[in-house]
Amino acid sequence: MKNMNIKKVVIIITITLTGALAGILYFNSSAKPIRRDIVIKARQYSYEPNRMEVNVGDTLYIKLLALDVMHGFYLEGYDIDAEIPANLSNFKVRKPSDGFNWKDTNEIVIIVTRGGKFRYRCSHTCGTMHPFMQGEMIVHPNHLFNGGVGAVIGFVFGLLWLIYKKNKKGHDNE
Amino acid sequence: MNKMEKESGIKIPMDVKNGKNTDLLTKFPLLKRILKARSFQFIIILPNLFVFYVIILAGIIGSPVGNRNIAIVFIWILWWFLLIAIMVPFASRVWCTMCPLPFFGDLFQRMAFIKVRLGKTAYLRNKMFGLNKKWPKYLTNIWIQNIGFLTLCTFSAVLVTRPFVTSIVLGLMLLLGTVMSMIWKLRSFCSYICPVSGFLSLYSSAATMELRRIDNDVCLKCKDKGCYKGNEKGYGCPWSEYMGTMERNNYCGLCTECLKTCPNDNIGLNTRSFASETIIKGYDESWKGFIMLALAMAYSVILLGTNGTIKNWANAPETGNWGGFFIYAAILWSSALVVVPAVFYFFAYLSKLITKSTQSVKEIFKTFSYILVPLGLLAWIAFSFPLIFVNGSYIISVISDPLGWGWNLFGTAGFKWQPLVPDYLGYVQLILLLTGLGFAISRGYRVSLNIFKDEHTALMGLLPMAGFALLVTLAFLTFFIG
Ligand code: SF4
Ligand code: SF4
Ligand code: SF4
Ligand SMILES: [Cu+2]
Repeated sequence: MKNMNIKKVVIIITITLTGALAGILYFNSSAKPIRRDIVIKARQYSYEPNRMEVNVGDTLYIKLLALDVMHGFYLEGYDIDAEIPANLSNFKVRKPSDGFNWKDTNEIVIIVTRGGKFRYRCSHTCGTMHPFMQGEMIVHPNHLFNGGVGAVIGFVFGLLWLIYKKNKKGHDNE
Repeated sequence: MNKMEKESGIKIPMDVKNGKNTDLLTKFPLLKRILKARSFQFIIILPNLFVFYVIILAGIIGSPVGNRNIAIVFIWILWWFLLIAIMVPFASRVWCTMCPLPFFGDLFQRMAFIKVRLGKTAYLRNKMFGLNKKWPKYLTNIWIQNIGFLTLCTFSAVLVTRPFVTSIVLGLMLLLGTVMSMIWKLRSFCSYICPVSGFLSLYSSAATMELRRIDNDVCLKCKDKGCYKGNEKGYGCPWSEYMGTMERNNYCGLCTECLKTCPNDNIGLNTRSFASETIIKGYDESWKGFIMLALAMAYSVILLGTNGTIKNWANAPETGNWGGFFIYAAILWSSALVVVPAVFYFFAYLSKLITKSTQSVKEIFKTFSYILVPLGLLAWIAFSFPLIFVNGSYIISVISDPLGWGWNLFGTAGFKWQPLVPDYLGYVQLILLLTGLGFAISRGYRVSLNIFKDEHTALMGLLPMAGFALLVTLAFLTFFIG
């Protein structure tokens, strides 16, 4: 009985991982790295663009503008946090891993190294909906999502197949 | 008392028969002593009552900025996460054990914090104060909770960002609970009105813990029925549950009274496997599942999404865009009450078509709607992870400055907002969604066997439902990491 369960788990994991791998390979993309100049405008309570799609290897030159009140710009996964005063082209930026060493600048330069979905969030309380003010940077290839889709589909087929096998076996024994 | 007469034909739940469950009370005698103590519930509610008081006060006199006010940070970040991700899946309605909302109502009905009064009130052997009216039969379901919850959630963008609004809503709930206890018997407020109660009841059925009778025969022979009627050791079940036949977690508020009243020591606190109770009793419960699923999707788009226009619609009291608010509310209500159920109905119809079953589509629809429990609960947990991991640092700062008045009680007020591993949450969410999907399908098969009887048909009937679960999971996956 115990062995049966372990066997089932192994089968499920194998099928799920196969699905994940298939997803990753199928949706894999390799675009030529380019330079992108991006202006991100912050306004209560969203960014414009609210979603940007880039590729691994791209170099991003990001300018930040706050159009109403002071906003923040905390980019997940890239160790960047900025404070953008309203209606000025200059803003302060720091590396959160490095504490509060704010630097004055008018541009952030990022070399995109990891695929996935990275959100940029407002880090400076700007009003009621502040905690929900965010945008997202999708870096292709987004292996987690592509693999996730494959894994989910594989998982479903794996489960149904196991149920089918179990039923068949039950009948054979009769 | 026909409820009690029906007790003879009880079925023993599978998990009990297998003897797989562990009774925590036998394993930990100290726990048993604590839970059996009359003062237990009072003592565990008391600190919550204090925090509740501080929170209501803070919402009214404290800073209007949500993330600087303990009312918002404690309720919508800390409490919410603990509730949905820990208490409900692992300990059923344990929140109701310690919930301060019914405190004054219970106090009024019993005129005692701890003491038990004997007497006669309807079928109860306890003296209960107040009018003790019976709750109207046609409202003996969770529809009011469904609609109430959906109404509250329509204003969630306001509720979770304005400390004042949070306070007022909590205060009104406390007041309503208290007033209702004076008119209607026992915990009518909890059972039929409390908006939190609806999803607690639905999702607690999946919990890995249950409070149940130990031996059926003992209950059958039991003359006392203290668990239901009360006796000198404690009050009759405040949720009007009868332990002798109770099969589901849904409407047991884990108040521990029956542990005290059962003269035969016949009640155990069992651990069990996740989502092992697979019964949906009525459409009110099915719809609770749809509402919760639709809300999880809606919030993923509105709160965790990036679109500013929708945020401004939901935030009409500030933006003044009531036209937009109306569109948003209309979409929310129609998807929760009509669109998602209709899609599910279509899949239930497919299930009937494939299996050529003689069962009605309605019956298939209702029975299968159980899969919304693991699916929805895990989606909600996946949704809630970013709340605490991204905004959890507010807990640290707000604890030193609960009112947002510039205090620094513990020296942590200046702690800057700092998301915790935000870029890895996607992996956690993927695993959570897979878990929900896995339970939806494996339990779905169990449900399917109940509907279609033979194994082959059950598998065929399950296929459309697996398709539905797959689509839902892919949708959440897209919201979270796509
Ligand atoms: S049902 Fe609502 S009010 Fe009653 S104990 Fe549970 S959470 Fe509290
Ligand atoms: S009092 Fe105890 S033994 Fe009697 S019916 Fe209730 S749970 Fe069973
Ligand atoms: S069955 Fe009733 S008395 Fe027993 S714990 Fe649940 S709510 Fe309390
Ligand atoms: Cu902002």
